[in-house]
Amino acid sequence: MHEIRFTVNGQAESKRVEATTTLLELLRDRLALTGTKEGCGIGECGACTVLMDGAPVTSCLVLAVEADGHAIETIEGEAVSGELSILQQAFIDAGATQCGFCTPGMIMSARGLLNRIPEPSTEEIVEAIAGNLCRCTGYEAIVEAVRIASQRMAGGGVQ
Amino acid sequence: MLGNFEYKKVRSVEEGSRCLVDAGGSGAILAGGTDLLVEIRNSIKSPSLLVDCKGIEALSAFEHSPIETNIGASVPLNQLIEHKSFRETFPALTDALLSIGTYQLRSRATVAGNICNASPAADSAPVLLVRGAVVEATGANGVRSIPIQEFFTGVKKTSLQLGEIVTSVRLPAESGLRTAFLKQQRVRGHDLAVANIAGAYTPESNTLRMAIGSCAPTPVLMEPIPVDSNDVGAFSAHVAGLVMKAVSPISDVRASAAYRNAVLPTLARRIVYAVLDGQGGGN
Repeated sequence: MHEIRFTVNGQAESKRVEATTTLLELLRDRLALTGTKEGCGIGECGACTVLMDGAPVTSCLVLAVEADGHAIETIEGEAVSGELSILQQAFIDAGATQCGFCTPGMIMSARGLLNRIPEPSTEEIVEAIAGNLCRCTGYEAIVEAVRIASQRMAGGGVQ
Repeated sequence: MLGNFEYKKVRSVEEGSRCLVDAGGSGAILAGGTDLLVEIRNSIKSPSLLVDCKGIEALSAFEHSPIETNIGASVPLNQLIEHKSFRETFPALTDALLSIGTYQLRSRATVAGNICNASPAADSAPVLLVRGAVVEATGANGVRSIPIQEFFTGVKKTSLQLGEIVTSVRLPAESGLRTAFLKQQRVRGHDLAVANIAGAYTPESNTLRMAIGSCAPTPVLMEPIPVDSNDVGAFSAHVAGLVMKAVSPISDVRASAAYRNAVLPTLARRIVYAVLDGQGGGN
């Protein structure tokens, strides 16, 4: 067992974890943060995307023990006091979510993109979400949602 | 849960090396983990110990100067790709790194990991080969500088000895070099290479170096080819012929040997046009 300390959505956490536990399992099974989804389990689908020190990673391919000393952000950190983030609202407004399984991962990839490129081009949006598979919407609405969020953030919104 | 292994985060190369030796061949270095953890999950590998090298400070170093570039073994691909001067100095390598996995995987994956995994299809390998990269490794017998063309010894096999850890990949500066990288894959986005290929043209010696991946048990570096730039079309056909003699494609899950044999001459010709004419295509 390994003792790890890290933050999740800004909150300090301390856990004892097995070497073989993934970050995804830690989030879902130990911290009840079930917004992060497991799809393929091998880094192909992006459903388990979270931010690690601000960078999108597939949490199925990160060991929980590797999170020691790092800052993790999940979809649960998007809404503040029950109010959706600009990014979440843009997904609703653009009709960018249907079954919803890919949405948490999509939003975390988009969050990572907007953190590093506040006003991304269409090409940059497409590249940023290329690792997130969606079998419902066909991507166009998702790209549009990220564009809308970017514009609204530039217009003075905090998130 | 992934497999059944112990985990050790080491603070020095020497400590890591000792752990690997003590594990007697059943230890594995964990850098980005984007290949290793997939192989463990799919029961392709079952190491008893993962030695996390990301706690070794020196391995996180990325040095980039006009003389030399040294990529520490723990440096994630995105750090390189998002470094403006690196991109400008190594456009073909940047293209190759961008073709690896997805943004999320590139947040974790490393150049050292890509070559240590030693897939014949490793996307960084062809460019590293034509650029004369040197793999720095440290083990019980001290430090070794391994020319990249001596690093790959077979499918998923390298010349690393038990306990040896790759500390960095070094790229010598070569002014005036013109490079290009192309990758044939089944789908846009996240896919492994059906074939990948890189070329580097040195105007000073008027020679072309070519390297090919995913078409032989290891990535292949060809002998330097004297360039005849009077007729680029004819020269590109000549190079395509040489490339086909250098490889031995097989059929696998990604493509048939026949497809690889059909697509490779075109890729080779496009590389020649790209490095000699600055054009993207050669048909």
